[in-house]
Amino acid sequence: MKLTALRLHNVKRFAGQGVAIENIGDGVNVLCAVNEFGKSTFFEALHALFFQPHTGTPEGVRLLRPYSGGNPVVEADITTSEGRYRLAKQFYGGKLASVIDLDGGRLLAQADEAEAFIGKLIHGGSAGPAGLLWVRQGVTGIERRSKSEEDGEKRVRESLLSSVQGEVEALTGGRRMAEIAAACEEELYSLVTSTLRPKSGGLYAAALDERDKLLKDEQRLSAEVTGLRDALDKRRMALARLSELENPEEGAIRREGISAAEASVEAAKSHSEALKAAEAEAALAVIHHDAAKQALDSFRTALKRAADLREQSTIAQLRRSEVLDRRASAIAENEQAMGEVQAAEQEELEARELLARVDATLLARDAAEQLAGSDNRLKQAEVARTQIEDGEAALAMLTVPEQAVEQLQALEIEIASLRAAHLATLPTLCMEYRAAADLVTIDAKPLPHAEDQSFAGTVRLDIAGIGVLTLRSNRPQQADRTIEDAEAKHRSLLASLGVDSLMTARQRLVEARDRAAELGLARQRLGDLAPKGIQQLHEELARLSALAAGDLELKVDSQQIRQHHAAAQQRVTTTRNNVREALPLRSHADEAVMAAETAYVTIQAELTSLDVILGPEAAREEKERLLLTEANARQTLREAAEMRAAPLRDGAHDLTSAEAVLRRARSVQDAATQEAGQLRVTLADLNGHIRTRSDDAVEEAWREAREKLEVAEERVGRFEIEKAVLDRLRTTLGAARSAARDLYLKPVMSELRPLLGLLFDDISIVFDENTLLPQTVRRNGQDEDVDRLSGGMREQLSVLTRLAFARLLARDGRPTPVILDDALVYSDDDRIERMFDALHRQSRDQQILVFSCRQRAFAKLGGNILQMSDWQPGQS
Amino acid sequence: MFRFIHSSDLHIGKRFGNMPEDLRGRLREARHSAISRLAEQARVHGASNIFLAGDTFDTETPTPAMLRQALAEMSQSAPLRWILLPGNHDSLLADQLWSAAGSVVPDNVILATRPETLTIGADVALLPAPCTTRRPGRDLTEWMNSAATPQGAIRLGLAHGAIQNFSEDSAASDVIAPDRATKAGLDYLALGDWHGPVTINERSRYSGAPEPDRFKHDTPGQALVVSIAGPGALPEIVAVETASFSWKTAPLHLLSGDDSAAAFEALLPPAHLRRQTLLRIAASGRVRLSGRTILQAAIAVAAPDFAYLELDGDGLATDCESGDLDRIDRSGALREAAQALLDESSDETRSAVERDISREALVRLFSYCEAMGS
Repeated sequence: MKLTALRLHNVKRFAGQGVAIENIGDGVNVLCAVNEFGKSTFFEALHALFFQPHTGTPEGVRLLRPYSGGNPVVEADITTSEGRYRLAKQFYGGKLASVIDLDGGRLLAQADEAEAFIGKLIHGGSAGPAGLLWVRQGVTGIERRSKSEEDGEKRVRESLLSSVQGEVEALTGGRRMAEIAAACEEELYSLVTSTLRPKSGGLYAAALDERDKLLKDEQRLSAEVTGLRDALDKRRMALARLSELENPEEGAIRREGISAAEASVEAAKSHSEALKAAEAEAALAVIHHDAAKQALDSFRTALKRAADLREQSTIAQLRRSEVLDRRASAIAENEQAMGEVQAAEQEELEARELLARVDATLLARDAAEQLAGSDNRLKQAEVARTQIEDGEAALAMLTVPEQAVEQLQALEIEIASLRAAHLATLPTLCMEYRAAADLVTIDAKPLPHAEDQSFAGTVRLDIAGIGVLTLRSNRPQQADRTIEDAEAKHRSLLASLGVDSLMTARQRLVEARDRAAELGLARQRLGDLAPKGIQQLHEELARLSALAAGDLELKVDSQQIRQHHAAAQQRVTTTRNNVREALPLRSHADEAVMAAETAYVTIQAELTSLDVILGPEAAREEKERLLLTEANARQTLREAAEMRAAPLRDGAHDLTSAEAVLRRARSVQDAATQEAGQLRVTLADLNGHIRTRSDDAVEEAWREAREKLEVAEERVGRFEIEKAVLDRLRTTLGAARSAARDLYLKPVMSELRPLLGLLFDDISIVFDENTLLPQTVRRNGQDEDVDRLSGGMREQLSVLTRLAFARLLARDGRPTPVILDDALVYSDDDRIERMFDALHRQSRDQQILVFSCRQRAFAKLGGNILQMSDWQPGQS
Repeated sequence: MFRFIHSSDLHIGKRFGNMPEDLRGRLREARHSAISRLAEQARVHGASNIFLAGDTFDTETPTPAMLRQALAEMSQSAPLRWILLPGNHDSLLADQLWSAAGSVVPDNVILATRPETLTIGADVALLPAPCTTRRPGRDLTEWMNSAATPQGAIRLGLAHGAIQNFSEDSAASDVIAPDRATKAGLDYLALGDWHGPVTINERSRYSGAPEPDRFKHDTPGQALVVSIAGPGALPEIVAVETASFSWKTAPLHLLSGDDSAAAFEALLPPAHLRRQTLLRIAASGRVRLSGRTILQAAIAVAAPDFAYLELDGDGLATDCESGDLDRIDRSGALREAAQALLDESSDETRSAVERDISREALVRLFSYCEAMGS
């Protein structure tokens, strides 16, 4: 939409007159005029045309009316993509609204239809911003305002800033939205917390508490009612039971039961005693019968036994005399054998003694014969022993160790060789006598002729007639010492051997060997003579001497004696065997006698005892008969007793059962009594309980609680619905608000940014994406509070925001005029110029109307300069 | 001619916990005072006996005060004779009640606690069928068929329970044979249990409660005056009003353009009756957003006149038109929000509960806007 002309009549200061601005073009249009010239009147009239229904007289309309009254008329020509139209409204008297199609020159719409046409122009959609964008000194023009609000610079500044917000609010529902949301939330949060839980102290929470309390009450009372009904049921049952128990008929039946049981117990008891007596009698009869039978049987057995025994007694007697005879003969036989043994033994003794004497005599004879030889040998042995002793002594004297002799010999040889060596080294002298020999002596010995004479040490040559010549060899003594040592050793060896020379030693060695051989022979001899030593020979000699001292004169045939002795021994053996043979016969006979005797005596004893039992022989038959009679009588008695007991046994009364029946009958009675007592106690308890509860009217209270609970639950339900409704409203409002923001504010921001860059190169402004309000201002790298924005900057921001909106709408295919009424009051010239640049840049596809009183400053703006002209309605 | 009052279901002692606090006492008292109103009707109509066909007391264990005061009230009306039948609420199980009553029963009160023929006048035999338990599980009137009565005597039955499965306590199996009067040769069968009056046949009736206790029946409290000329004669029956309170459900059907407040006010009883009236407005049809707010306001204005006044708006749909939305806002986010709520409230894919909530939220938004002005 574009404005092409604006006309008004009888508006504000133009009372009774008309004024018009024609030829409003594309791009920037400027109307510069001093204050109070009427610029703002145009602005307000335009606003009323578009936003005030022609029928009403709200404040915005009333402001248009001059003090003198009358009917304000506003008219505007517009161009849209569909055509050119003239919109006109007359307020107060002759209320009128019309739309004329300028191209066709015909009336398009009137009254409400005209309003609808205008509404479509400016709204273009329920959620979009208004189709006209206004920036006015201090206010946006679409807000309600009072005169006082326009006063004061501070107010103006705030309004300027909030004028941006105004546009935002138009999108986001504005203050109404905020107030409604606040009211909704207030109501909601009086009930619940922000997490939609019941808020404590709130009505909702109270309702819930009430509900819970009643629920508890109801449950408690319900339990009590149940308890009460239970108690009633129990009491009813108890009463029924009690009346049953106390029913006289029942009692009589029970008592009858007891007496019947008692009678039957009595009957059973008496029967039982009779039976017992009969049983005892029968048992006694049995005993008597058994005894009688026993006596009879014993008697008969005894009789038979006596007869048997008598037979046995006869046999035993025979047997006894027989064995006695046998024993007598055995004794005789035995004694004879014993006698023979004694005789044989005597004989043997005698024979043995004789034989011993004979032997002694023989020994003595032998000893006497050996005695002489033994004496001789003893003498020889003693001689031999003397020889041995002598030989040994001599040998001990002669003996030299052969090894030592050999050593001695080796030593002598060594000495000889040493001497020879010694001599060879000695200085020698040789004297050859020319004349007489032996004129010279050497060490007082003659010095032989032409014979080398060696010497050691110093020799004195006594040369007869001449003098003594002393020769000194002056040799070291060393050489001589070896020989001396050997010689010393030789000497000591000789001494140790006790000989004076090797020769002697050798002689002694031979001699010792001879003597040793002699000694060996002597020893041999002694060994032959006395192999067990001389002492044994002495003893042998003594023994023989003793033997030889015996009787040497007995003259008997020793052989005969020996035979006699052997025969005697044989006899002894034979007789002893005879005795051994006879002995068992004897002892066997003894035993037989004893057995026969015992048997006989036993039989006799038994017989005697039987006789006691049986009595005298004559009475025995009679006695047996008596016993038999007795036994028969007892049997009869016994059978009679059995006959009496049998029916009693058969007809036995069970006393135990009868007693059990009685006990049961009595226990039934006792139980009935006890139960009745118990029931009365229970009843008393129940009565108390029931009376208490029914006095409390617990059932009524329960019903009441139940009904109250229903009401409380309903109330809670209502609160829940209320909560849901408010929450739904709150969330829906919030969603609508943020949807509007997302839909418009963000695009506006992106439109706004380049414009800001155009205007402010030294500062950057951060906008709140939600409110589109400047949040912080960064100047020279420092953040500043947005409140400190200058008035100029505020208004510039305000204008730029409108431009951004306008761009957005234009891009949306709905170009919209931007109307600025003294919008740049506080801006300095530099900024204004920049702003002009921004406006021109914008105005390429945008209609901008600028109303200003700053003629000088706005002279630089350029653009289409608008003029006001007179106008009368109906003329154009 | 034998004439008596047939009534039942006094429910003395009922507490009305679901009613506002200050009303409860009055409602309770009204039940007690039904005794004197019945007596008054008996005197007016020349009836000598009052048959109470069960549920005289609301619970099996009324307080001694309640019981004694009720019996004292009855004794006050001597020589009128009262015959009390145990019902399901005060069945014979309530032995505490009946033994307590038995010990203080006045001469002019008969407790029909046994199914035995009662001779209550010259040639008048009453066959009571007292409820043995809360739910007897059998037809207690069976015995009447074979009950012997003197030749030429009027045979009257007195019973409590459902004829069909419409018992107040909705127990099903123990129904009274509908043709019991015919089968048992009764001249009249006085029934109790149903709180509204019901005619089963010309000789069998439910009297209904003399004092209503709920909105369900929508009939005024009444008792029956029954006159029987003689054995076999058809009874003459006249209903007489006995109620102190009136319980009414008033249907209010609205169309979208209707003046809801005027329609509501047209339903209201005369001002002097309102104190004794419990009124439920059962609204149905459709109403505009504004109409709804107006109706609610009107109800709030009228409520203090009444003993009780409530609106049952479940059947009432709220219409919302673009003009209503315009009153919220023509454009912008507020309008969007209103539109969203309206769309939700008519979105069939949502549950009814959600739609209702959305509609209510819209109503609320509307009322906020109205309160705020434009």
